[in-house]
Amino acid sequence: MAKSSEESPSRRTFMMVVIGLLTAIVGVGLAIPIVGEILTPLFKKRDIVWAKLGKVSDLENMQPLTPTFIPVYFKVKQGWSVNTLPRQVIVVKDVAGKLYFFSNQCTHLGCPLHWIAERQKFMCPCHGGMFNAMGKVVGGPPPRPLFVWVHKVENGTVFIQNKFLDNPKERGI
Amino acid sequence: MFKKVQKWFDERIELTETINEFNGERIPRSGGWAYTFGSLLAFLFTVQVATGIFLLFYYVPYFPVARDATYFIKHNVLFGSLLLGIHLWGAFTMVFILVVHMARVYFSGAYKKPRELQWVIGMALFSFVIVLGLTGYMLIGNENSWWTINVLSNVAAHTPFLGGFIRILARGGTETSTLAMQHIFAVHVWLLPIAVILLIPTHLFLIRKTGHQGMAMEYNKSKLPDDNIDKWKHPDATVPFFPDQFYKDMIVAIVVFVVVYLLAIFFVPEVGPVYNPLALHFAPEADWYFLANEELLKFFPGHGLIIFATFLVPIIGFVILFALPFIDRGHERSPFKRPAATILGIFFLLLIVYLTLMGGEPKAPATI
Repeated sequence: MAKSSEESPSRRTFMMVVIGLLTAIVGVGLAIPIVGEILTPLFKKRDIVWAKLGKVSDLENMQPLTPTFIPVYFKVKQGWSVNTLPRQVIVVKDVAGKLYFFSNQCTHLGCPLHWIAERQKFMCPCHGGMFNAMGKVVGGPPPRPLFVWVHKVENGTVFIQNKFLDNPKERGI
Repeated sequence: MFKKVQKWFDERIELTETINEFNGERIPRSGGWAYTFGSLLAFLFTVQVATGIFLLFYYVPYFPVARDATYFIKHNVLFGSLLLGIHLWGAFTMVFILVVHMARVYFSGAYKKPRELQWVIGMALFSFVIVLGLTGYMLIGNENSWWTINVLSNVAAHTPFLGGFIRILARGGTETSTLAMQHIFAVHVWLLPIAVILLIPTHLFLIRKTGHQGMAMEYNKSKLPDDNIDKWKHPDATVPFFPDQFYKDMIVAIVVFVVVYLLAIFFVPEVGPVYNPLALHFAPEADWYFLANEELLKFFPGHGLIIFATFLVPIIGFVILFALPFIDRGHERSPFKRPAATILGIFFLLLIVYLTLMGGEPKAPATI
């Protein structure tokens, strides 16, 4: 018969080490799938799609420096479902006639911008960020100018991608 | 008959003795009403668990179904508005009472040796309850919920080094989506409640281990100096927990319960419209206990300074609060004998109240 822990101190140490090891095995065994499950989003490739915005000829008829909000609809695979993400594209024509495609999300923390025509400014309802019609920061906490959508023109039609240009930290759209 | 049942249990598990030992704990006598906040919180948490479990009978954690499910509970389920209202006002009351409880413990110096661990566990409970509140707000599934998830995950993205990853993990992807809601649901309904359910008994166990230590006024007759730890072990007079203290706990609990119940009957806010990313004039608003941080965000502009409002100030604040018993190691208990701590505490509370009131001011563009 094996000695009890009270009879042999070394056997007591041995038992404690085995108990500790068994606990560790169970812990690590459970942690592997749990951590994997939690970290899954980091390993999923983002679904990048194009969505139609409108004809260039229509957009060029706009007044210069007068932002127009035009909705686009991205059909994107997210997790186990395919969702339609409606988003606003702010189209602005500068005085030279060049078109800009801004996101309506504040670059501070992502609240939806309001265009205040009387002040000729975009204002953020959350923390008071302000941008001018060309997307430059003119007040409040935002750290950078408005995000610009990745876009392309094909056969006179503008397409928008569900992605921002110059977005190193991968802020969502 | 009753005696027979009692005897049956006593022969097997010594039930009467166990109950008497549990209930007979001696509580310092004169501060009775001030010691009711802890049990009030346990009571409120029980109410939250009970109402929360039964809200699940109709709730679906999926944009945009979540908002419709919440709307259905409020308008189509029998007494649904009451159930939802109790869960909402119970949560608000719990956050408020938590601050009161913490302030009481802070000003009476009850976190000092040997009760450091209790304060640390209490702070963990506080953090969990705040996150429970925020995630609960997100689960309603209306416009505000969606923007709260967006804004708060952007706040989290300012954590040094890990920020970008944290945002992706919290949202379940780059965009706030189905998975974001599912994760928040799991955290709000399983993870954090279980953590709280485990920590509350730990908090209580520590009280029993360290012994009840009341406010300084309980020890007027003691001749020991304040820096002698034994002084705080023998209050002038004590009463048993049951029924003396329990009676006061119950009265406070019922008063708060009636207030929560009346608020739930008369003031349950509208669920609000379903999330619409195309809305041009929507102004997201944080819950009231987040307004102080919300206001702080307005003060730190530009590239380098955002991190003060999103990460540094809140984290440093929390670390100082967590470590409070290890920073303030004097043995004085009375708020009048440690003026620095008292003045700092009052200043901190006033600052929070001020920031909350400022953060609640109507936002500029929404009012134009």
